[in-house]
Amino acid sequence: MGIEEDNIEIISSIRENAKKLLSEDQVDLVIGYSEGTVPLSSTPVIIRKAEDVDKLTWNNLCYMNLARYLAPLMPQLCDREGNALRIGIVAKGCVARAINLLAVEKQVDLKKITMIGFNCNGIVNRSKIDLEIGEKEILEVVVSGDDIIVKGRDWEKKFPYDQYINELCKVCKVKTPSTTEENCIGECKELESIHDEFSDIDDFEAKSAEEKWDYIKNILEVCTLCYSCRQACPACYCNLCFVDQNKPIWFGKTTEYRDIFTFHLIRATHLAGRCVACGACASVCPVGIDLNFITRKLEKIVKERFDYTSGLDAETLPPMMDFDMKDAQEFMLEED
Amino acid sequence: MDQKILKKDQIGKLYNEFAGEYDFYAPIKEKGNIVFEKIENPEDIVLDYLNSKVPPKSVLFPQEEVLFEYTLDEKNVEITDRQNLDQKILIFGVRPCDAYSFELMANFFSFHGDWEDEIYLKKKENSTIIGIGCNTPRSTCFCTSVGGNPFKKGDMDIFLTDLGDKYLVEAISDKGKEMVQKLTWLSDASKNDLKKAEELAKKAEELIVTKIDVDTVVKNLETNFEHPVWDEISESCIGCGSCAYLCPTCTCFDVIDETDHYNNRGRRIRIWDTCQSCLYTLETSGHNPRDTKIQRCRNRIMHKFSYYPTNYDLLGCVGCGRCVAVCPANNDLRVILNKIKNIEKKEDEKVVA
Repeated sequence: MGIEEDNIEIISSIRENAKKLLSEDQVDLVIGYSEGTVPLSSTPVIIRKAEDVDKLTWNNLCYMNLARYLAPLMPQLCDREGNALRIGIVAKGCVARAINLLAVEKQVDLKKITMIGFNCNGIVNRSKIDLEIGEKEILEVVVSGDDIIVKGRDWEKKFPYDQYINELCKVCKVKTPSTTEENCIGECKELESIHDEFSDIDDFEAKSAEEKWDYIKNILEVCTLCYSCRQACPACYCNLCFVDQNKPIWFGKTTEYRDIFTFHLIRATHLAGRCVACGACASVCPVGIDLNFITRKLEKIVKERFDYTSGLDAETLPPMMDFDMKDAQEFMLEED
Repeated sequence: MDQKILKKDQIGKLYNEFAGEYDFYAPIKEKGNIVFEKIENPEDIVLDYLNSKVPPKSVLFPQEEVLFEYTLDEKNVEITDRQNLDQKILIFGVRPCDAYSFELMANFFSFHGDWEDEIYLKKKENSTIIGIGCNTPRSTCFCTSVGGNPFKKGDMDIFLTDLGDKYLVEAISDKGKEMVQKLTWLSDASKNDLKKAEELAKKAEELIVTKIDVDTVVKNLETNFEHPVWDEISESCIGCGSCAYLCPTCTCFDVIDETDHYNNRGRRIRIWDTCQSCLYTLETSGHNPRDTKIQRCRNRIMHKFSYYPTNYDLLGCVGCGRCVAVCPANNDLRVILNKIKNIEKKEDEKVVA
């Protein structure tokens, strides 16, 4: 089945389930994706009435992780007293992973959340397409058959879908929400663990320390420290981010490489074992920085060291928040 | 005659004429993005671009700017470094919307002459703008709704039109006329060239399809500071600073001191700030009058379409559409403005971008 037909089915299941939740008064509202007003985009939207569910869509451009809006809970999702409403949320695999993570970290109350699950078929790599098109305006992007068709004023270009989706989508093993039917309407499948070979970062791993340093510098240099990556990240919910703390100021705020690197290094460390591999950070970067290799490297370290994958269930603590006597401790100095 | 022709292979020659006297800034491609940078090699200049990712405001108002550096010597403080504000600047290849933004920002940096930001104003005074018309505006552009035009020439010193194989050069200001006179090697423009430029300007204006009733927006903002529409407008916002950082008219900045206690020195820097940040307007008491993203989103719109008109009798938006194109949540300014325009109308009237 082609991507296009796939999407038609996904859309109808999302709308049907959203309608059911709203009309049966199981939720107060549904967060989902709606068509974007510019190509290569989509808009997160809140639906409050069953008759509005046709605004919901799915088109492989829904790159935002909707769990972002749950923590901190935005005012639009609360009642007048500031209590959480009952929320339905359109959940691809990585959105569900984020919700599970937030539940483990006690940021959301799963009882108030119903996921509308489906089997995600990937997200278009918008930065890569943007970069390859260059200084021509993209006016329309559609997925048809196995191609992403990009149209401009007097030109058209095809990109093979399987090559031009996000790097993380290419290796994704959690396309459907890993949760129970209690928390989810639509498709879901509980996973205990996943098998991942991380072959996508082999090239990076093969580099020497010096080459890695240069590679990272080259990629991060253009960062404007707008913090879009942080803002789009469902795991970045701190009340006050370390870079924003100003009593005292811990880190420089300029776009000198020193400050850029410090931000990304510390953000990466904070996400170790927590990142849910949704790729939203890379998708939203206004200057097209591909942060995925950093998050994949983090995932790999955590998987190899702790055999842990974030967000597969809503109970297991991420390794950095937990202690286990069986944890490897080869770095300890031996007695005598 | 004030209209001349610059051949496309003569850009290097033009650069050589002025590079000694001026810091020469031009659009170049850096890691896939068009940005304005001080160039050393005229071959790097990219003129057939849609619009730059980061606006050229960064030339006069860079993202970070060292105000001064100091060293401490026992009890003396020595200010060691201030930038040379007398350096002449040439900004080449600027689009009309961005050229206008320099004027708008000057209002903020002088506030009716009540106080003056010497750094911005001096730099602007020492700047010469060689702009270029937009033959193919983007679908997100709406300059014609906010008083602009893809071929607006008034804010430039010299205006270029891309005629395909060459550029039409028009001297606009006295400064521009003086410069063009120095370029004795430019050939004269023919009647055909002028006609072609006129046609291009007309065609470009037709390409701008977005029309926004800004007058009604401004009027509605006066009376709707508290309105449920702001909940809706801020719904999808994730609170990043992309819109403000890439906005050619956003001028908010923060001043920070970096102190190097070990070496008895430090520096004071001003950096871009954004009203979308949770720290923006956070008071020392801990209170923040713009505590939620609803208030912060509202501030951005109010600033450009209400406070600017009130304070300067001008709109604070040039219609470049950068925020429309860049918003990660696709919180489209055109849609926002139409929602505001439609306040007090029946709900069943559909809001279309």
